[in-house]
Amino acid sequence: MISVKNIFKDFHKTEVLKGVSIDVEKGEKIALIGPSGSGKSTLLRCMNLLEQVKYGEVWLDGRLLTPVDPYLHPDIIAKSKTFAKLCPEPGNAELKAEVISKIKKEDLLKKHEGAEFHSAVRRYLKENRLNANLARRSMGMVFQQFNLFNNMNVLKNMVFAPVKLKIMTKEQAEEKALKLLDRIGLPDKKYAFPSSLSGGQKQRIAIARSLMMNPEVMLFDEPTSALDPEMVGEVLGLIKELADEGMTMVIVTHEMAFARECATRVMFMDGGKILEEGAPDDIFGSPKNERLKEFLSKVL
Amino acid sequence: MNSWQIFWNRVKNPGTINSILTGLQNTAVIAVFGLLLGFVIGCLLATVKIIQSKNPAVKGLQYLADGYIAVFRGTPMMVQLLLLHFAVFIGVKIAPVAEVSLIFGLNSGAYMAEIIRSGINAVDRGQTEAGRALGLGFTAVMLKIVLPQAIKNILPTIGNEFISLLKETSIVSVIGLADLTRSFKAIADSTFEYFIPYVALALIYFVMVMIITVVIRLIERRLNRDKR
Repeated sequence: MISVKNIFKDFHKTEVLKGVSIDVEKGEKIALIGPSGSGKSTLLRCMNLLEQVKYGEVWLDGRLLTPVDPYLHPDIIAKSKTFAKLCPEPGNAELKAEVISKIKKEDLLKKHEGAEFHSAVRRYLKENRLNANLARRSMGMVFQQFNLFNNMNVLKNMVFAPVKLKIMTKEQAEEKALKLLDRIGLPDKKYAFPSSLSGGQKQRIAIARSLMMNPEVMLFDEPTSALDPEMVGEVLGLIKELADEGMTMVIVTHEMAFARECATRVMFMDGGKILEEGAPDDIFGSPKNERLKEFLSKVL
Repeated sequence: MNSWQIFWNRVKNPGTINSILTGLQNTAVIAVFGLLLGFVIGCLLATVKIIQSKNPAVKGLQYLADGYIAVFRGTPMMVQLLLLHFAVFIGVKIAPVAEVSLIFGLNSGAYMAEIIRSGINAVDRGQTEAGRALGLGFTAVMLKIVLPQAIKNILPTIGNEFISLLKETSIVSVIGLADLTRSFKAIADSTFEYFIPYVALALIYFVMVMIITVVIRLIERRLNRDKR
């Protein structure tokens, strides 16, 4: 379903992800564990393109989500004047490929390339943006800080995106929202504003808000890390319920007991790499990697 | 006759009442339209400034916006008014009040841009991210989620800007526009009584500022209904 291939990401020259690959199959529940700063959250954020990856690919259901630099895209290079000059017969596929591989990004940026080339670059970037927006609809994201829209009440928070994106009518969306609120046990909070809710309530509503879009996969970014200890249970309970219903999910978490109970696969990350992955019982029961052993001895 | 009677006799004169009312109207129009235009210009400039892009066209626009803000904040309002009125808009057929409103709007836009930009930056990044993660586009997130919160945060500052704009309109008499200040200056000059007309003038400005203050407070209270 989601396929991450060898991605690299840096923030101001600090490398955060150094070649990470994951395949998330339908129905899988993957728990990402590891020390702070190991790149777990960044990996999750790269999956739904909240962070732009420096190198590597993210695929969703066979569609490439990560934009290829337009100046490195063969079809676009073929529209440049530089290409036209170097390649006298563009019909010859072999020659074409060879010439394209020789043209560097700097060459294209330095010279004046006609309007056709620039409009191709623009069109390509625009299509990519649309792709990213479409792809995000099928990936629900739940944040550590809940991020409910502060200027909207609970109901509006839930119906805003599906109605704005014309996926549902207002009536349909409200009906669905009320059902979801019933399910998470907060039907009386529909007109409440986020500032009047507890952390646990906010997070459950944030999860319900993601569910409004009927996502195929849910990404949880430390969903309980900002909660009071007594509220952790209610949120994990809801996530567990979703997992039992067969929702595909990727969870970044520090709740080891939850990861062990709920996940079908656990991945241990440190220093921007996945150091060990496997079934929860193997990871927690018989860890092989030294760093993982050390990590588990501290947190368990 | 004492000073008060001299003043009062002059004000009772229908011609004087008319000139005061016209002056009041001009002052109000310039302040309100200056503020509205300033808000629109400010929104545009702020949007240009917060876009993160390496596109040369966007970069160029950002330098232009920076330049605009630097020039209008870096020179006195009075100088801008004199320069634009006597050198730039010369020969442009436009009602004087409209022209002055435009000049005040151009000036206010520079301040407004910085106010709005800081308001947008003060909205938690998570709000944008949550919107984008639901598949919403940049424009929808900006207009429906970030801007409403930003405007709520900057409302007191916009109120400040409106108040200083209103008071600053008193300089338009230098280009001969009949504003409130000018109508009272005329009374003072013709009666050789200065204290009472100018105190009365100050009072009128003060009342207007108080009205703005109250209105802003009401709007603020209304917008804060989502806070406990």
